[in-house]
Amino acid sequence: MIVRRTTLAGALALTRAELADMFQYRVVLFLYSLWEVVHPIVYLAVWGAIAGEGEVGGLRLSDFAAYYLTFMLVSHVTAAIEIYTFGPMIQQGELSPHLLRPMNPVWVAAARNISYKSVSMLLLIPVWIGLVIILRPSFTITAGSVALFLVALVVAALLSFLVGTTFALLAFWTTRSFSFWEIWIGLTFLLGGQVAPVELLPGFVQNLATALPMRYTLGFPIEVLLNRLDPGELALGFALQFAWLFAAALIVRAVWRAGIRQYSAVGA
Amino acid sequence: MRIVRIVSAFLRAAILKETAYRAELVGNLFRSVIGIAVAVGGLAVVFSHTSELSGWRLEQAMVLLGVYYLVQGIVQTALSPSLNEVVSEVRKGTFDYVLLKPVPSLLLSSTRRFVVWHLADVLLGGAIIAIGLIRLEAQITFGVAAIFVGVMVGGVAIVFSIWLALTTLVFWFVRVENITMIFQLFFDTGRYPVEIYPFWLRQLLTFVFPVAFITTVPAQTITGREPLVAIWLAPLIGALALLAAARFWRIGLSRYTSASS
Repeated sequence: MIVRRTTLAGALALTRAELADMFQYRVVLFLYSLWEVVHPIVYLAVWGAIAGEGEVGGLRLSDFAAYYLTFMLVSHVTAAIEIYTFGPMIQQGELSPHLLRPMNPVWVAAARNISYKSVSMLLLIPVWIGLVIILRPSFTITAGSVALFLVALVVAALLSFLVGTTFALLAFWTTRSFSFWEIWIGLTFLLGGQVAPVELLPGFVQNLATALPMRYTLGFPIEVLLNRLDPGELALGFALQFAWLFAAALIVRAVWRAGIRQYSAVGA
Repeated sequence: MRIVRIVSAFLRAAILKETAYRAELVGNLFRSVIGIAVAVGGLAVVFSHTSELSGWRLEQAMVLLGVYYLVQGIVQTALSPSLNEVVSEVRKGTFDYVLLKPVPSLLLSSTRRFVVWHLADVLLGGAIIAIGLIRLEAQITFGVAAIFVGVMVGGVAIVFSIWLALTTLVFWFVRVENITMIFQLFFDTGRYPVEIYPFWLRQLLTFVFPVAFITTVPAQTITGREPLVAIWLAPLIGALALLAAARFWRIGLSRYTSASS
């Protein structure tokens, strides 16, 4: 994909504007990001209660703590918010002025995504550090795993953004894009590494989770960072993650083109 | 008697209004079914590694999940629509019209609106409870059922009080549209028995922000588990919370100055 220099400058300007806009809502954003702290704590408590002093599937309490603490950061960085930020724009006809600009309105969604996360991340980090002190995780990381993690994290964030945008674009056709989104959220909860690390899912479900895209938006980077994968699994994981990213890019492009063709603003 | 007439008039009006959006029922039902299916799937994953979660068996945990959805449905049907309106009315100053009516403001503010479609959660939550109880082959006597209802009423009273107290903050801070998210944050910990949490969090969720009384205690009552706390505490705390929240509402109300004054 070739991005023109003017587009890049436009994207930067958009991000600056969105950042300033987001900063007004810092208290609300803080509450939203606390949400991303509570859910991992619930599942950490569940697995901690089962593991007790022993282990579950080779994971001890401190491993679960490391997993779910990493989860908080990863889920924050990869969160798809387009159904809230971009979908309503289409539904309420606010898309029209953006269509007059010489760049694709998907950049607006991207700018919002980045500025939301930058502002709320600043607020989240002190909470996170506090939790690290309380929960005593054992971070089984190496220099190599951190490097690979960063790659997996960026790809996961991109993939998640493209998926989120695709679901938001369904607003071109239906007012119920939220219902479809909820299916995706549910599948991510079960298969993406939220209710349990993927390695703890029962046999065939684990294979399903490995094949489907949800894990590559969430669980996979965590597993990479904490060295939970052998070289074969690592290679397969990255191959599938990039394959899904490519597929998602094609899908979002096709959906955007089909949608924009039959878009009519409110009142048309 | 007059109160019953007023509330039932609101309820009738709400049903009439909402029948215009029949498709919403299908949409909400669909979303509730997905949500509950996913939650039960999550329980299945957890219980594939253990037969007991802090002493709770799968069926008992299912009953607890059912109680969670039941309360969630009640909140979204009856509590949040009315109280959220207070927040926007105080901001716009149209809360004047609530005060001018010859009905206690608290009653009017908390029973004006019903989003009946959210009863889907109530029904499905009830179904999950029933399935759990049948699989437990629980012997539910009339007495146990009566205690369960009493404890549930206590739990809902606690929920209402917390929600009302958070809403009342609007009289001081005006812009509190999202403050009830704090409730949801804590409430989400109630999908699982409070016993799974570490000691300090368990105390917090039992005595400070009593989620334990909203889901864990009712589920314990009906599945015949050893009670976490004396059961009569639930309605008592519910009643005390209601009194405190109503008092707080009156204090807040005295600070209301309408918009632009």
